[in-house]
Order: sequence, then C-alpha cells, then structure tokens
Amino acid sequence: MYHLRDVVKTREAEGMAFRLRVPSLQISMGEKIALTGESGCGKSTMLDMLSFILRPSDIGAFCFRPAGVKKPLNVEAYWKANKLNRLGDLRKRHLGCVIQTGGLLPYLTVRDNMNLCRNVLGLKRDGTVEHLAAELGIANHLNKLPDALSTGERQRVAIGRALAHKPAIVIADEPTASLDPYAAQRIMTHFMGLVDELNITVILATHAWGHVKKLGMRQLHHRTVCHAESNLTETLVSG
Amino acid sequence: MGIPLVKTFVLASRDYFHEWQMSFCFVVGLAAVLGPMLVLFGLKFGIVGAMIDQLIDDPRNREIRPVSSGRYDHGWLENVRARPDVAFLVPRTRSIAATIELTSERSPRNVRVELIPSATGDPLLPSGQLPEGVARIVLSESTAKKLRVAAGDTVDGSIARQYRNQKERVHLPLTVTAVAPAQAFSRDGAFVSVSLLEALEDFRDGHAVPRMGWSGDHANSVRTYPGFRLYAHSIYDVAGLSDAFADLGVDVHTHAADIERVQHMNRNLTAIYWAIAVIGLFGFSLSLGANLWANVDRKRKELSVLRLVGFRTLDIAWFPVVQALYAAVFGWALAVGLYQLVAWVINEMMASQLEEGQMVCRLLPHHYEIALALTCGAAVLSAGFAGLRSARIEPSESLRDL
Repeated sequence: MYHLRDVVKTREAEGMAFRLRVPSLQISMGEKIALTGESGCGKSTMLDMLSFILRPSDIGAFCFRPAGVKKPLNVEAYWKANKLNRLGDLRKRHLGCVIQTGGLLPYLTVRDNMNLCRNVLGLKRDGTVEHLAAELGIANHLNKLPDALSTGERQRVAIGRALAHKPAIVIADEPTASLDPYAAQRIMTHFMGLVDELNITVILATHAWGHVKKLGMRQLHHRTVCHAESNLTETLVSG
Repeated sequence: MGIPLVKTFVLASRDYFHEWQMSFCFVVGLAAVLGPMLVLFGLKFGIVGAMIDQLIDDPRNREIRPVSSGRYDHGWLENVRARPDVAFLVPRTRSIAATIELTSERSPRNVRVELIPSATGDPLLPSGQLPEGVARIVLSESTAKKLRVAAGDTVDGSIARQYRNQKERVHLPLTVTAVAPAQAFSRDGAFVSVSLLEALEDFRDGHAVPRMGWSGDHANSVRTYPGFRLYAHSIYDVAGLSDAFADLGVDVHTHAADIERVQHMNRNLTAIYWAIAVIGLFGFSLSLGANLWANVDRKRKELSVLRLVGFRTLDIAWFPVVQALYAAVFGWALAVGLYQLVAWVINEMMASQLEEGQMVCRLLPHHYEIALALTCGAAVLSAGFAGLRSARIEPSESLRDL
C-alpha cells in the first residue's frame, strides 16, 4: 500500500537539527507494523508523513495505493502541487487515525465522535458504532460528552472512531501512552482483535516493546546517529 | 468531494452551543455596542422625525406671501397656479376693502372682521367647509365666539361707502358654513369666496355690482389684485418657489428658513450618528475579529482533528463564519430587546410633553433589518480573516498539543 524511497524530513530548532530519513519502506495490505523507540526519535514524524499531514522536505518516491485501486497514487505530486484537499480526501476515505491524546471533539457525544468519520463520508448509521462501542466496553457511555469519561475510556472512543468507517489502514500514535500498563494491555488487545476481525492494515507507534512481541507485529528497523560536528541527529527508518 | 455545508454547519453550531458561556459573552459584547447605537438612532429619528412631521402638518409652513403689494392680473396668476409645485393659489383684494362688519341676533356685539379669500383646496380649512358663492362664510373661532353663532346660523354682514358725498350702507345675509379650526386664523376673521371679495371691493370703489343688486358707476373691465394667498405642495418646494418669485421680481416672505433649519439639523445629526455608528461598528468588528482569531488558536487542536478526518480548507474556514453569524444574530436580537426596553422607558417619560401618538424614540421595521444586515456583514467579514487563519492550520503541529 505504501512505497517510500529516500523520503527525508528535516527540522531545525535552536541550532540543533533533526533529520528523519527513510531510504526504503514498503508496507503491504493487511500488515501489522510497529514503529518502536524512545520518544523524540521521530516516530510521530514518520506517522504524520504516512497520514499525509506533514510535508516531507525531500522525496525520492512516495506512492500510495489504496485497496481496490490498480495504479499507485503519486503522493509526491500532490505535495508539490499543494493539493492538500486531495490528500485530505485520501485520509478521509482510506485512513483511520488514533492520536496520542485522543483528539475527541469536546462538543460531540461519544456516539457522534465515533460517528465523525462515517458522517463526513456520508455513511448511514447501521449499528457499527454501537457494535464497536460494545466491543470496546464503552457502550454505556455513548450519550455522554468526552469530558465525563476517564482518559482510558476516551482513548477507546478514539480507537472506535478510527475504526468505525472501516478504513483500509489505521495509523495509531502511542494510543496507550497515557494509560497504566494493565489498561494499556487490555485496550491494545481489544484493538488488535478488532483490526484482525476487519482485516485492517495497522501502523502503530509505541515505546512499549511488550505488546509488539506478544501481538506478533512487524517491527520497523531504525537507527539513530548523532553527527556531533554539525549538531545533527539523524534517524534512519527502513523496512 | 467536500463535506456538505450542512454538516459543517451542524458541527460549528454544536461547538458554539457547547461553549455557551463563551458564546454568551460574545453576544453580550455585541449587544453592548449595538444596543446604544439603536437607541441613538431611534432618538435621532424620533426627534427629527417629529419636527419634520410638525413642519409638514402645519400648512402655514408652506405659505408664500408677497412682502409688498403689486398688480397681478388673471393671466399672471394662472401661470403661477399652473406650476406643479403650487398647491393652492387665490388672489387677494385690497386689504382695506377686505373687511366687513358682522352682527348676529344672538349677540349685541358688532364685530369687524378681516376677510380671507378662499376656494376649493384651501389648506387652512378642512375639506367640506368651503364658503362657496356670495352668501356663505366660514368664521374664525374668535369671531364665532363673539357672535355666539355656530355652523348653520345666519349672520348679517354690512359694508359702507362714501358715494357721491353720501354715506351708503348695504346689508347681506351670510350663512355660516363652518367655524374654522383655531390654528387656521387666530384673529377676528372670516373666509369667503373670491367673488364676494371682488363684489365688496367694487362696491367700496363706487362701482355697480349688478349680481348683488348694488348700484354705482360702471365696473372696471380689467381687474388686478394687490396680492395672493399661495401654498406650496410640500415644504420642500418652498425654497424653489421663493427663488422663482425672486426671478419674477416679487419679494416673498416664507418659512423657508425654519424648514432649512430642520433639514440642516437632520443632516448634521445624521452625520454625527453615522460617525458614531461607523466607529462603533468598526470597534465591534475589530473586537469580534480579535476574539475569533484567538478562538482559532484556542481550538487549534479540534480544528486539526477535523483536518485529520478529511475536512477541506474551505470546510474549516466556515467554522468561524458560522459562529460569528450566531453571535451576530443573537447579539442583534438582544440589542433590539434592549432598545425596545429603553425606547419604551424614554417614551413613557416624555409622554406628558408630547402629542398623542408622538414618540421621541422610534425606529421603523426596516431600520432593524438594516442593523441586522450590517451586523451580519461585519461579523462575516471579521470571521473571514479568522477563517483564513483556521484554514492554514498545520495539523501535524497542533495535534499533539495537550
């Protein structure tokens, strides 16, 4: 589904430079990918580029082939032509995103939050949300506002929202970072069970090694090098 | 493939009502600017409107009188009467000849009255009270009181002349058709037809008036008049007519100065009002714009989430616009409510000094509509900038803010 070659993102701050380089990355349909590493090594940068919300500094090749489409789409060309709305449409149709802090809209009920992606796609209400809520153990919170929920419950709602429109790919950035290990374990188990059931490609960033091994995910290799003379920290990701 | 506008609208609305405290503050802030502006305009409109109404209602303000007497013949008068800005014109006979002594059986008094020429369309008399022919008369209020007569009564009119060294006096019965309103003529006077006045003038000059049965010398064939009673169509025609008479070499006395004073005041007040309104509207737009701008910052993360689930640039830009429109409509409604309350209080307070139905503070329905349109326009304009800003949000930079 993804094909990346020599994709680079460089960031500079206070004389320190950070560079993420992807010499080569292939992700195929149905794969469960884990991006592990300490915070600050570029996991989020990587995921943002994969979900088309961060413009890479330099692109060798960046192709995306949604399920059911024969010819891969040239993401590089979209970025070059500044077609942000086209990228947004891709995200809307093919991706589900879980962000670290939930990212729920405070003015919508749990049900409407979970329905958000379905709603923008114009999908009918068919009980998917209720089913997901039951699976995630938040069925009794459907009519509450996110404010009334605990952090863990909100995170489950975020997972539910990313899955409700049955996207081909789910990109999750540290979905359990703010939870205690036991809750994290439970939620991750639920999450992986659901994506297996729906046959969804998963790209997950986490610093918890335990899950990855237990859940049998493919781990991306990455290596961080410090170039002391130029104040540059470079992370290489491939797989 | 954008998001249907209605969905954006629903989301923006839910956000707006979810933050009702914040939204309420916006609405109050707007009403605090708009309410006083409505009151100011209502006062300006009410006060100036009442003055203009008074000017229009009082026909004396439309009167144009020649300053000195002249010699106006029929043809000249007809030309003036044909002007579209002239509503009423009758010739006056010489004022020495235009008097009559009236007596009535009900009163011992002998009242000498000024006679005022009248005809159809006399602005001083209510329609249907006209003295037609030579046997009818409309008395001024003071005359009627002195003679103790009312409409329908008959009075005796008499005039005298020195003719061939002999004093002659003729009497004629006159039917009182009506008593003129008090403001029409304040002294002892009476409205009569021009033909009666002409007959009286001829008699005094020693001419014969066959139709009245009065003997004397042969009548003049060409009649000229020393003056006329003229009323313009509206107060706005007075200045133009006055200029036209100046061109004809006739000095006239008008109320043009009074009319000009009110119009001048109206213009000045309007200018002052608009200066205040523009400053107020500008201030309001600026404050709303700044608030919405800050709102975009505050909601950076939520807007980024919308971006993440595929909202397009334009969809996002609608958010502040929709919310600003809510603020505009609710703020306007609150301001109108405040205005109604204040206007009611002001009008109640002033009621004793005003005529029935007059209001010091008054707005017409279309004033409310204009206020709403201006408010919405200013709100949308200031929200547009905030909208542009929200459309530029980089989701990757805002999503991870806690």
